[in-house]
Amino acid sequence: MFKHILLPTDGSELSAAAIEQGIRFAESIGAKVTGICVMPLQHPFLYETEIPMDALEHAAKRYKELADTYLAAIEKEAGEAGVACNVVYEKNDSPYEAIIRVAEQKGCDLIMMASHGTRGVGALLLGSETQRVLTHSKIPVLVYRCAG
Amino acid sequence: MFKHILLPTDGSNLSQVAIQKGVQLAKSIKAKITGISVMPEQKYYLYQTDIIVQVREETVKQHKLQAHGNLSAIEKAAQEAGVPCETVCEISDHPYETIIRAAEKRGCDLIMMASHGQRGVKGLLLGSETQKVLTHSKIPVLVHR
Repeated sequence: MFKHILLPTDGSELSAAAIEQGIRFAESIGAKVTGICVMPLQHPFLYETEIPMDALEHAAKRYKELADTYLAAIEKEAGEAGVACNVVYEKNDSPYEAIIRVAEQKGCDLIMMASHGTRGVGALLLGSETQRVLTHSKIPVLVYRCAG
Repeated sequence: MFKHILLPTDGSNLSQVAIQKGVQLAKSIKAKITGISVMPEQKYYLYQTDIIVQVREETVKQHKLQAHGNLSAIEKAAQEAGVPCETVCEISDHPYETIIRAAEKRGCDLIMMASHGQRGVKGLLLGSETQKVLTHSKIPVLVHR
């Protein structure tokens, strides 16, 4: 029934667990996966004008490196499970927008994500990006809650 | 990977769609399903005590009929698809608690529900019971919009 699963990652342990489950699920139903990592944009809102000119560039590079690491982990896991896999890197201050847009563009029919991301389990609430994806996505969302 | 899907229903159009999708998914991954309908408890804060008994019995009867109707829709869809199916009818004022408890008790490994139920699409928010299930469930939840 599901042919193409979008797996968002923010590099957190919780998202890693959701990805593992996502790949297992894709394997069991013969679906392909697309991994996505969304990093914030760099805004030069600085008072100290003597901050090095290349600080923004440096931050952008660092984000890209991190994203590449997270996405490579998805590719590796998918490869080991024999699941077809693509990865996308996006820069956006509203990750949920990028996640939904990419899901629609790529024709994903399921988004599978952790109940929480890098900001952890805030009491009993859902993670804020997961909440936003759930609120705005027209594509079904499978929320994976990790033990603990 | 998923072997047993819980499909909550409140009889709304949106939950009907989620049920169809749930049965379809169960069929494609050879899982079984359990349908659940949760109806409110009867509480009466009335001054006219003489109408209580009659009204109460009538409402309980109505609710049972409605739950039965909702669940038989699931049974029918499952039967047509050749998916093994059980149904449960529960009475509770907190449907999300009952849904999660039933899922755990019966060993379900996925709960699939609509983004909204009977109270409809209020703006862009999630339905309140779906939200509560998502918040409290340790079992994965697939939200169908």
